Amino acid sequence: MKNLDSVFAAYIIGWGVFFLFYVSIAKRTSDLRAEVERLKNALPRGK
Amino acid sequence: MGKRIVLGAAAILLVIAAAYASFYVAPEERTMGVLQRIFYFHVSSAWAGMDAFLVCFIANLLYVWKRGQRYDWLGVASAEVGLVLTTVVLITGPIWAKPAWGIYWTWDARLTSTFVLWLLYVSYLLLRTLIEEEERRALLSALFGIFAFIDVPLVFFSIRWWRTQHPAPVIMGGPGSYLDPTMRKVLLFNVLAMHVFAAFLIVERYVLEKMRSEVDLLRREVEAQ
Amino acid sequence: MGLLSNTAILLGKELRTEFRSRELLTTTAVFILIVLVLFSFAINPGTEEAREFAPGLLWLAILFASSLMFQSCFLREQTNDTLSSLRLAVSDPFAIFLAKLIANTLFLLLTELLMLPFFAIFYNIPLWSKLPVLILVLFVGSLGISIAGTAISAISAQARMRELLLPLLLLPLLTPVLVVSTLVTASLLDREPIMQWKGIGFLVVFDLIFLTALWLFGEYLLEE
Repeated sequence: MKNLDSVFAAYIIGWGVFFLFYVSIAKRTSDLRAEVERLKNALPRGK
Repeated sequence: MGKRIVLGAAAILLVIAAAYASFYVAPEERTMGVLQRIFYFHVSSAWAGMDAFLVCFIANLLYVWKRGQRYDWLGVASAEVGLVLTTVVLITGPIWAKPAWGIYWTWDARLTSTFVLWLLYVSYLLLRTLIEEEERRALLSALFGIFAFIDVPLVFFSIRWWRTQHPAPVIMGGPGSYLDPTMRKVLLFNVLAMHVFAAFLIVERYVLEKMRSEVDLLRREVEAQ
Repeated sequence: MGLLSNTAILLGKELRTEFRSRELLTTTAVFILIVLVLFSFAINPGTEEAREFAPGLLWLAILFASSLMFQSCFLREQTNDTLSSLRLAVSDPFAIFLAKLIANTLFLLLTELLMLPFFAIFYNIPLWSKLPVLILVLFVGSLGISIAGTAISAISAQARMRELLLPLLLLPLLTPVLVVSTLVTASLLDREPIMQWKGIGFLVVFDLIFLTALWLFGEYLLEE
């Protein structure tokens, strides 16, 4: 089937973009979660 | 947290089902063959992208009115997701155009307008990086977001008129083109799936922004010690 | 004091400030001239194709010039710290915007009129007979540019990299004005001129929509 590679390219690149976006959010979220923990421990007890 | 996982799972399932439908349920188009199946992905992304920007617009209005931080978080989250969706529209359009018309960019009215839309929201995000103070950033970007969104219909109409004066190949069929009923159902299912997926991405991005704000607050508390 | 009288007073101030030094007018006019000349080097001037490009080049030149011209609009207030006193002096902050955008439209229109003879000569386009209508197009288009430009100037003045930010925010916003103004101007200057009233109507709608938005949200642009 001609043009099948174009269709695949469109879907793969498109979903690739979505995937990369999601992964970047997930990574930054988990980094921030660790940062929150670190900061909370840096505060005196009872805060 | 549980709701987020449910939304994510629903999004993934719907998107896989929609892709399946695009290839195995929708009939093959007569003139363009399998290439036409990009249409379901391209159009559903475009629609979801516009609605993400609509959410951004509403969030912007709410921020200017009520000044709640969460409207700012929603604004940036929906703008970024809208931009990502629009990027995919701008990538899949040329991938479709090259085999169909021999060239990557045909200055098709809708795709060109989409490009201007993309530029507007890139500017929105750039503006945000150039203002440090949180409240001022939220207010000014909300105001620009409002101006940008009201400009959108004007952009679309003006470029469409421009193209009627200088006709060019139309990507994916003009506004009046007929759609086979099964194709229409598959398209609408794709649109639904993409909207749920977009909602999932917006929620995740919103949570990230909220957390960022929390970290800033905690940092200031730690420094104040 | 009513909105109109406040606006009139502020407009007087804007005009007097500019006409004292005329620096904005002269630099903008020279800039448009430079851009028109540079465009000629980029295309093959004097040919039929050049005549076809000419209206688009004119409006591009106007757009680029305006993105420089609006830099000083609110920056002037910031550097002199006059914004707070302005706000106190008027009951309706919209008067400040109205005065500035009327002044900006006038300045822009003046520089465009100054440039028209050069435009006609460089691109060999007879303008004289169509002058009234041409001025109408220039006016409606420049009004739209000024309204958006004044609003964006208020935003970019409060951010970093404002010289680069202003065109970045303004130019995509003004795409409809560029597209439609060029179309109307091109039809007007064509071999068989046609008056595209639909285009003028569109530009009027653009102006009204952005003026309304500025009226509704202007005060927030000036928040301290």
